[in-house]
Amino acid sequence: MPNVQSFSTLRARSYVFRLPLFTRLMVLAIVVLWLVGIQSAWDLRKWGALIPDEMNFFTAYRMNTFPLIHLNLLHALLNLLALTPLLERFESEYGTLTSAAMFFGPLTTIPAVAYVILERVIFRVNTPVMGASMWVFLLFSVEAVRTYKINPYFVIGTVQVPTWTTPLVMAFVTAALIPSTSFLGHLCGIGTGYLFGLGYLKFIAPPEKILRWIEGKLNLLGRLPHYVSVDQKTYGRFGVLPSNNSSGKRISPALTHIDQLTDGSGTYKGSTSLSGMVGSTQRLASALFVGRSPKLQKAPPYISLLLIVVGVAWLFMLPMNDYSRRTYISENALLPGQVHTYFGGSDQNVLRAYRHEIGALENKTNTEVNDKLEHMFRSMGLKVGRQNYTYTTSGNTVAGENVYAILQAPRGDATEAIVLVAAWRNVKGEFNRNGLAVALALTRYFKRWSLWSKDIILVVPPDSRAGTQAWVDAYHDSHDSRRVADLPIKSGALQGALAIDYPQEERFEGVHIVYDGVNGQLPNLDLINSVTNIASGQMGMGSSIQHMFHHNDQYRDRLTCMLRGMVNQGLGHAVGPHSSFIPYHVDAVTIQPVGQGWHDEMGLGRLVEGTFRSLNNLLEHLHQSFFFYLLMQKERFVSIGTYLPSAMLIAANFTITAISLWVKTGYGRKADTAKESKDIKEKKGVDADAKKAEQTAEEAPAPVERELYLPLSLVTGCQFLGFVPLFVFNHAPASLLAPLFVVVTLLSLALPHALSFFLVTTYRPTHQQYQLITSFFLLLLGMFLSTLATLNFSLAFLVGLLATPLTFVRPFPKVPAAQYAYSALLSLLNPGVVVLGAAVAATTLHGRSGLGLGVVGVSPWEAVRKVLEEGAFGWGVWGMYTPLIFWCVWFPAWVVGSVVVLG
Amino acid sequence: MQPFSLSSLIPLLTFLVSFVAASSAAPAADYHEQLNLKPLPQNSLLASFNFRSNTSLPEFEAHNFRFFPRSLGQILQHAGTRELHLRFSLGRWDAETWGARPWDGTKEGGTGVELWAWLEAESDEEADHKWLTLTNALSGLFCASLNFIDSTRTTRPVMSFRPEGDHPNTTMANMHLLHGVLPREVVCTENLTPFLKLLPCKGKAGVSSLLDGHKLFDASWQSMAIDVKPVCPAGEECVLQIEQTIDMVLDIERSKRPRDNPIPRPIPSHELKCNTTKPYHADDTCFPTDSLNAQEWTLNQIFGKSMLGKCPLTDPNVPPVCIQAPHTRDVFTSMDVQEVKEPGNENQRCYLLPSNEEEFHLALPFMPRDGDRPKTDADEFVQPATPLLYAERSLTGHGQEHGGVQAILTNPSPDAEVEFVYMESLPWFMRIYLHTLKARISHRTGSDAGQTLRDDDDVIKEIYYRPFLDRQRGTQLEIRMKIPPGSTVFMAYDFEKTILRYTEYPPDANRGFDVAAAVITILPSNSTGGRAARMSNLRTTGMLLNLPTPDFSMPYNVIIFTSTCIALAFGGLYNILVRRFVGRDEGPEVSLVKLQKRLQEAAQRVKERVQERLGVAGKGAKKVEGKTD
Repeated sequence: MPNVQSFSTLRARSYVFRLPLFTRLMVLAIVVLWLVGIQSAWDLRKWGALIPDEMNFFTAYRMNTFPLIHLNLLHALLNLLALTPLLERFESEYGTLTSAAMFFGPLTTIPAVAYVILERVIFRVNTPVMGASMWVFLLFSVEAVRTYKINPYFVIGTVQVPTWTTPLVMAFVTAALIPSTSFLGHLCGIGTGYLFGLGYLKFIAPPEKILRWIEGKLNLLGRLPHYVSVDQKTYGRFGVLPSNNSSGKRISPALTHIDQLTDGSGTYKGSTSLSGMVGSTQRLASALFVGRSPKLQKAPPYISLLLIVVGVAWLFMLPMNDYSRRTYISENALLPGQVHTYFGGSDQNVLRAYRHEIGALENKTNTEVNDKLEHMFRSMGLKVGRQNYTYTTSGNTVAGENVYAILQAPRGDATEAIVLVAAWRNVKGEFNRNGLAVALALTRYFKRWSLWSKDIILVVPPDSRAGTQAWVDAYHDSHDSRRVADLPIKSGALQGALAIDYPQEERFEGVHIVYDGVNGQLPNLDLINSVTNIASGQMGMGSSIQHMFHHNDQYRDRLTCMLRGMVNQGLGHAVGPHSSFIPYHVDAVTIQPVGQGWHDEMGLGRLVEGTFRSLNNLLEHLHQSFFFYLLMQKERFVSIGTYLPSAMLIAANFTITAISLWVKTGYGRKADTAKESKDIKEKKGVDADAKKAEQTAEEAPAPVERELYLPLSLVTGCQFLGFVPLFVFNHAPASLLAPLFVVVTLLSLALPHALSFFLVTTYRPTHQQYQLITSFFLLLLGMFLSTLATLNFSLAFLVGLLATPLTFVRPFPKVPAAQYAYSALLSLLNPGVVVLGAAVAATTLHGRSGLGLGVVGVSPWEAVRKVLEEGAFGWGVWGMYTPLIFWCVWFPAWVVGSVVVLG
Repeated sequence: MQPFSLSSLIPLLTFLVSFVAASSAAPAADYHEQLNLKPLPQNSLLASFNFRSNTSLPEFEAHNFRFFPRSLGQILQHAGTRELHLRFSLGRWDAETWGARPWDGTKEGGTGVELWAWLEAESDEEADHKWLTLTNALSGLFCASLNFIDSTRTTRPVMSFRPEGDHPNTTMANMHLLHGVLPREVVCTENLTPFLKLLPCKGKAGVSSLLDGHKLFDASWQSMAIDVKPVCPAGEECVLQIEQTIDMVLDIERSKRPRDNPIPRPIPSHELKCNTTKPYHADDTCFPTDSLNAQEWTLNQIFGKSMLGKCPLTDPNVPPVCIQAPHTRDVFTSMDVQEVKEPGNENQRCYLLPSNEEEFHLALPFMPRDGDRPKTDADEFVQPATPLLYAERSLTGHGQEHGGVQAILTNPSPDAEVEFVYMESLPWFMRIYLHTLKARISHRTGSDAGQTLRDDDDVIKEIYYRPFLDRQRGTQLEIRMKIPPGSTVFMAYDFEKTILRYTEYPPDANRGFDVAAAVITILPSNSTGGRAARMSNLRTTGMLLNLPTPDFSMPYNVIIFTSTCIALAFGGLYNILVRRFVGRDEGPEVSLVKLQKRLQEAAQRVKERVQERLGVAGKGAKKVEGKTD
């Protein structure tokens, strides 16, 4: 290929004139189609682009036309510049006929099909693509794989970067620099290119015999100018091309030759050759890891174990006084409990009347209820809006109509608002009669004040799970307007939300504050502190969190409270109507009166009034206090800086083992490698000094080539396999969920055995390959979990903990008992088995876990169904990503880990 | 005869006195004040105060101010201002309930402070310079942060504003219109005091004596306006007119609360008005009847003080107080007050005050809704006129990168189309994408009635767009639109949020940034006449824009972090640079290693000797061992 330094017009001209036939045709086609695309009468791009949603049998032509059509001149020009040299190289090597067959066949359709499947099935988007850049990346990665075989690494500092990653880097750079490029499309091209380059797609190439026959019959060589013959390809312009087998052999002597330049102690004796320099640098870098000390080589599993132990112990230390802190109000403007509350007196008479009114509506339809509520709101002088929504998950349709009223701040300007939510039914499905009555009476009372600086919005959704979500989504215009209607009236930016959940008829003892949001996101700690402060300090009510109604503030209770919070956050589901607000950065809590006591609903009203007065004081959005914390008592917490290391250590244990295995696989003690090198050296006739070095080299680990294909494809394949259960459980109707679950669990238990059998019989993986497999999946797991730990600590910790046995998976070829024992242990920690176990455990809890799944006292069958239904509902309605982590992070790791153990 | 002459003398005398008073203040027509009260639905009351005084242009030029406030006059002369409009506003006008705006919306501004003026200047630079002078001077005069109207907040509207005064064509050519808004400025009592000081009676007498900061700023909506413009009546000499207006909508129930006890405590349960027809009605259970029923009120109840006579500088023949209420509404006034009704407008009643200094009282009693002559809402207030256009604007989207603005504009009229100019002046950190500007229309009547929306480019007739320049000027967007009768237009555009520099964030940065109200100028339609013969205005509400805000403790974290990094890196690097690396065998021996070596050597020697002597004698070996110890 021409490079920039040696560029001359003459050479360029001759290069262009020597372009082979197929390349010329493709260039011509691209130019012609671009010219055709200029006119506006017929939309060529719409006809020919690869549009995933429009793909069917009759539009399959798109798979061949899309690389030839470009968006505009610049697009076409850039792609032509990139494609021509690559395609020319390919054609010169493989011949015109083969190129034509490949580029009108598999090399275009395979990435196209992969792209369409990815877009339609997994991402569920519809991004049309066109342009030859897919070919560019495909050819580029073919070249990259070839380069990798000759020249496996380029070294940046002491880091060895495999050369096969260049197309990936290029794709990233392209995606980052050039707008509206399809990163996914490029990836599909790269993937196919890798496969082709590694020779796994050789079988799709047309047989040489036929090609020769066609060529001979038609006398193509004579008739067509610039035709590259099938024969020519074997000894084309480049002479003998480096082939797969020779490079592997050639590389090892080169490396061992370098070995003799470095003696056992690692002292560099000096060499003049450049290759020796590079090699010894590599050698030194690796020697730092394992080469020197066998002790160091054995350390990583112990380090991993240590990290796990420290990580878990860390968590258990948190409830102690020295590691947790007392809560405090960080935002001075809140001034909780500093105002007199006046809700009371004759307002109670009104409240009683409202309770009668609402009680009469209990068995009415949603529309009748909303008609009545709308009438009541209007008579209070509020602006009323209604909103319909329909969600379908697990075959069930959740539909309803929200009604909401806006109390416009008397002197305000619709810039800010606070929300009061009183759902018709709470998360458990109980009729929230008192809560709604309190909310109505409060709103009527609030109307009398002129001090509000923010609008007050009273939202009455028919249920606590989907209704608020629909409302908040629509308020922020991020709703799907096919499922959720637009809001007819709106106010300003939401500054906070409070939900009242008061289904019980009796007086109450204290309030229970529910604060977990969707995906384990939390409201600002200042809000919880304010409510606690007002409830305990001003109203004299008890307040509790995480269903810990009798908290003695000792280690045990603190730990229980913290763990309950972690389970709720780890599950990531909505535990109250407030949960949906939190992803939109609107701080929200639900207040539930609990217990038998002397506080009446007016007390609850005063608590809400006090909290609203505090929120009303806010000049800024709540930002002062913590958003990441674990509460272990209502007045004691640990912040992210203190607890994060716990999950991070667990995630790091996977990474450390992965890295150590990767390094290990680079050095084998295989006798054949050593022998081979000895033979070569003897041939060369080395002197005595080198012989001495050779002895030490035989003892020291020798570098070996890593067989990457099998490990990479196994890990990647299993990673994608995770999408199958994710898809199944999110789309199956509710009645099928439990049977499907059993099927999936049994299949997943059998899968490692089948895979292992298949691998052993087909590929006979070496010890090194097993180590590479382990390294790859652990690396992925560590990466995913450490990222997740910053988003949802609890989920990362729980999944990390359940996956810890995977760190120590090794093939146990010599000790069958250990192998079976370990595989049995892993079977117990199968994601499906864990779900089943958790569901069964939840049925026996006495309704105090606060998980809100409603599985107490039902059969395991029913419990599993409910858990899965909740997962599908969360995925579809709340945007909860727990199922994704479950099936696409944990499940693949488990499968690969089990395969390794069985291997 | 005698009694007759005596009784007829008194009115004659009063007339004479008033005449003398009027002539002494000649020309009396140069000052005019009036309070217009208009009960609105849902227990609200619109009170419009209007004060107007004139001074002839030659006198103004000669620094001979009479009713015209000197402080303001000097500023105007110094800054070469030909026409000035200043607005202080708070709250929002609820068009759905209260109907059309007072003064057709021409005397109101967006939330905060709004200022626009025509300055006489030769060039843009000179106009900018004069504008700077004007804003700074007014800032001092009105205790408002008007000096913060810098170049980023100043626009030069093209289509939205027209001079209201009569300007000679020679000056028109050199007049520059500049417009600035401060949406975050909180209007408060400190702005009212200088406002009242500009009045000839200074709030001591006349209708201005009713103005009180507590009630004014407790209103649901209020707007204070100052307009200065030259007026040339036909055939007379030109005068410079200053018009000060205060409009407010009072919530009657809230305003009636005594000033020393403003807390809305629950009323005693026996005073609660209940719906007794409910089956559950009991002593402790009460479903409240419509709380929006009209209430009784008096003038000094709702304003918190009474009106102290009339301002002696006004024309006695112009009634200072008027009320717009149905003629069936009972209205009681104090004695000696003469009720005047305009012949054409039977809903308007005005009151001529006697010239003495007595307090003026006005009371609207409770009108029973039941009994033998039940009253209805129609007796309480005049049904407000439907506005020409409803406008609502809100932010769409979430997150800290992109956002959108949606304006919903509804033409309620069943037959007349409405043409208007929609003007946005947006801050520069709100980078709008003009290509995303879309107008969709939905008809309520006609063939495509209902909720069907369709894109309609015909709605937008003309766009004037002056893009922002970073840190220099904001976006100015003026759109002339025409909405067919009975239709709603949804206009939306997207924008990108900018990350500001650390020092550019205002205090309380997490509150967000206020975006000024959009100004809508409804153009007079020449086809239908009547309804929209004059230009009228309305403004949307403001918006609160959340920009990505850094954690302001971050600099300290960064400083600490960087210092640590530098310390570590420097330590390591310095160590490597300074240290000399040698092989282990080349360097001097460290004492501990030396000791270890000697011990090893000694042990080696002992070993050798032992091996030597083992064959010879056991005694000797023992001896050697003792030696080494």
